[in-house]
Amino acid sequence: MDIGNILMAVLVFGVMVCVYIFLYLMNKKTPKPEGCEDLRADCSGCKDFACANHPSHHE
Amino acid sequence: MFAELATLLITSVLLNNAVLNQFLGLCPFMGVSRKKSSALGMGIAVCFVIIAAGLVTYALYYFVLVPLHLEYMELVSFILVVASLVQLTEMFIKKTSPSLYKSLGVYLPLITTNCVVLNVCLINISNNYDIAHMLVYTIGTPLGFALVLYIFSTIRERLDAANVPTSFIGNPVALIVAGLMAMAFSGLAGII
Repeated sequence: MDIGNILMAVLVFGVMVCVYIFLYLMNKKTPKPEGCEDLRADCSGCKDFACANHPSHHE
Repeated sequence: MFAELATLLITSVLLNNAVLNQFLGLCPFMGVSRKKSSALGMGIAVCFVIIAAGLVTYALYYFVLVPLHLEYMELVSFILVVASLVQLTEMFIKKTSPSLYKSLGVYLPLITTNCVVLNVCLINISNNYDIAHMLVYTIGTPLGFALVLYIFSTIRERLDAANVPTSFIGNPVALIVAGLMAMAFSGLAGII
């Protein structure tokens, strides 16, 4: 694999990461509708303790 | 050609159903099937993400990755495309439908990790589909997902009113119903 191919791969990957970060930030900036500020509170927890939404992670 | 496409459509919607035959996307299938309205919203959101991801990844692969000899990057680039499209979908739903945003809850960002989405993108490439086949498969698979999710939600709403033994209340009886649905759908294999 030549250096040009590696640089091209890095460039393509970088562009895609930039697009993702841009959309992520735009999504973060978009205000959540009223009553949806803490959606995790609706989850009472199942047996999957590894899940990031499990209430035990927020105590 | 038309018969082949029709067969592919029926197969992807009913016979090779993503949930009941391939056991993909079970997280939203179990999590967002308690109410019909949520199931319908999730079905539409998944349809949008899969169709958009299928088109974008197909174009990305054949117009960017193949000419640049970067085919080995298909997995990582497809994941980034799916993640970006989910951000876009979430933003759109936040602005247009607060009620749907509330009912989908934590499952909306989880479309990113819905393996049906990535599966469709990868199958389009690995099966060397042309544009017509890719379109049919990309539309058929999420339709099958949404159909099964909606049917399942209607059954679960009725289950809430049924007299279920205590130890089966909730997910256990839902999983039994899912198994029965899988058997019922496998009975459709004779139509092709």
